[in-house]
Amino acid sequence: MSEQRMYPGMSPEEKTTFAPYSAFDIPADLRELTGRYDVEAMARRCRNFRYAEEWMMMMLGGWVATIPELPVKTGLGKIIWECAQAADVLGNRLPELRCGVRAVAASQSANEGFAALIQSISEPERPDLTIEKLTGPFDVLMPHLVDVYELTMRETDQICDAPTIELLEDIVRKHRRHISWGQEVLDRLCDTDALRERRRVRAAQISSELVESGGVTGTLASERGALN
Amino acid sequence: MKRFIHHEELARDSRFVRQDNAQSTVLATLPDDVDTIVNAFEQFSDMIEGSVKGTAAEPLFESYGPGFALTILNEPIDPDAPAGLTRLLLRMHGIFVGEVQALEGAARSLWDFPDAPWEFKMNMARQAWDEGRHVQIFEKLLNHLGGEVGMFPESTFLFECACSKDPAMRVAGVNRALEGLACDVFRDMIKYAIKTGDERMQQAVDYVLADELTHVRFGSEWVREFTKDDPEYLKRTQEYRRKVDKQFSFGGARSAREDAAIPIAWDDRLEAGFTEEELEDLAELSGSGPSKKTLVAAANILRERHFAKRAAKAEAQGTEAQS
Repeated sequence: MSEQRMYPGMSPEEKTTFAPYSAFDIPADLRELTGRYDVEAMARRCRNFRYAEEWMMMMLGGWVATIPELPVKTGLGKIIWECAQAADVLGNRLPELRCGVRAVAASQSANEGFAALIQSISEPERPDLTIEKLTGPFDVLMPHLVDVYELTMRETDQICDAPTIELLEDIVRKHRRHISWGQEVLDRLCDTDALRERRRVRAAQISSELVESGGVTGTLASERGALN
Repeated sequence: MKRFIHHEELARDSRFVRQDNAQSTVLATLPDDVDTIVNAFEQFSDMIEGSVKGTAAEPLFESYGPGFALTILNEPIDPDAPAGLTRLLLRMHGIFVGEVQALEGAARSLWDFPDAPWEFKMNMARQAWDEGRHVQIFEKLLNHLGGEVGMFPESTFLFECACSKDPAMRVAGVNRALEGLACDVFRDMIKYAIKTGDERMQQAVDYVLADELTHVRFGSEWVREFTKDDPEYLKRTQEYRRKVDKQFSFGGARSAREDAAIPIAWDDRLEAGFTEEELEDLAELSGSGPSKKTLVAAANILRERHFAKRAAKAEAQGTEAQS
């Protein structure tokens, strides 16, 4: 620890001191070089995450015209753009993970089950199905993505894979806002027991399909302990 | 969810009143002939009356008859003109529903064209956010002027005309023709706001106009990209855009003519990527509709006939009551 020093020009009676700082005074970095995912595994995860973000953007885009509630239409506009940005930064990470410069637009479903889940979430079409439309992404898919992204941030190498952590932090922050918006809209729309039941049934159906598919990375079963 | 939807499937909350697009179609194809215009509007008189019933446009119908749109569209917005505020609100409401449909068109492009290049999707996603903000902005401006959502009927003519199933034609129709029209209308609204000292409207619409230039640019770039190495496809796409431009010239109300209610925003369009050649073409095709003189003459005849019908109806009701 460095010695306390007086500010220059001040008399000793004032007893004002400061601790000098330099590279040597910064606490040691105690993090270890360890992480659950190697470069290839993280690249696969980024492609899986990008697939979810891209399809979420597309399905929300498709629904804007068939949802009658005006504030929902306008609110979705911003979420569509933020999902697009999420997919974009995930794509930009791929060449950095040795996938080649042409990989920036590469999305990949973890398995057929997750691809089928996305189609199932995007199924509702009629204007009277706003509850069914919003429940899939905002009650089930986005919370699942946030869980998996946070798990990934915790378990990946904190130093070697810091760029992935940085971009996921930003995506999680925005998705938390999206979830809160979507759930507030759903709470308002579901103002009777019958409507709340519709939301519950839809959420249960999508959740069950999500678990069956193994989630966005296809490995939900092996990660469930970590997902609480 | 299916790909591509019909304009009648656009979902609205209970405040909105839907208008049949037939009137807009007729307006877009009128020749420079008073009798033809009068006959066309008389044919749709009952439908027009039905569509404005219970909305803020009903007094306009009562004052001008079925040709009220001709009067409104073909005269510049003037705060001192009779029914000036109602006409301003009608235009503002028209812009508002246009923004709703632009939001739906841009967002729908993400679902309708899943195999489009990633950069195209990014541009459409960005446009969806912008259009969502524009809907909020024009709803607020409508309220600022004393109006409200649903006070006038909505025609979905914009979505119907511009939302092609072909991606190059979709961006040519939505991003170049309609967003180009938006440049013209917004430049005109900014002039109006300056004239009336409405700084809130001036600043808000100025920001929206800046966004529209970006959207036109998206359109210019994607038409070029989608049609590269295929001159025939480019030609068809340009023809499609010209058709939409013609439909949205409102019979010459939006044109480079001296009597145009909405002048072409030449400088804004150049900045957005239109060429001088394209603008000269637009000026020619938009100016080829009926002249203002013809439309005013037709509007006057329609108004006189409307009053005559109303008088005859009142007389018949009076006779019936007496007997």
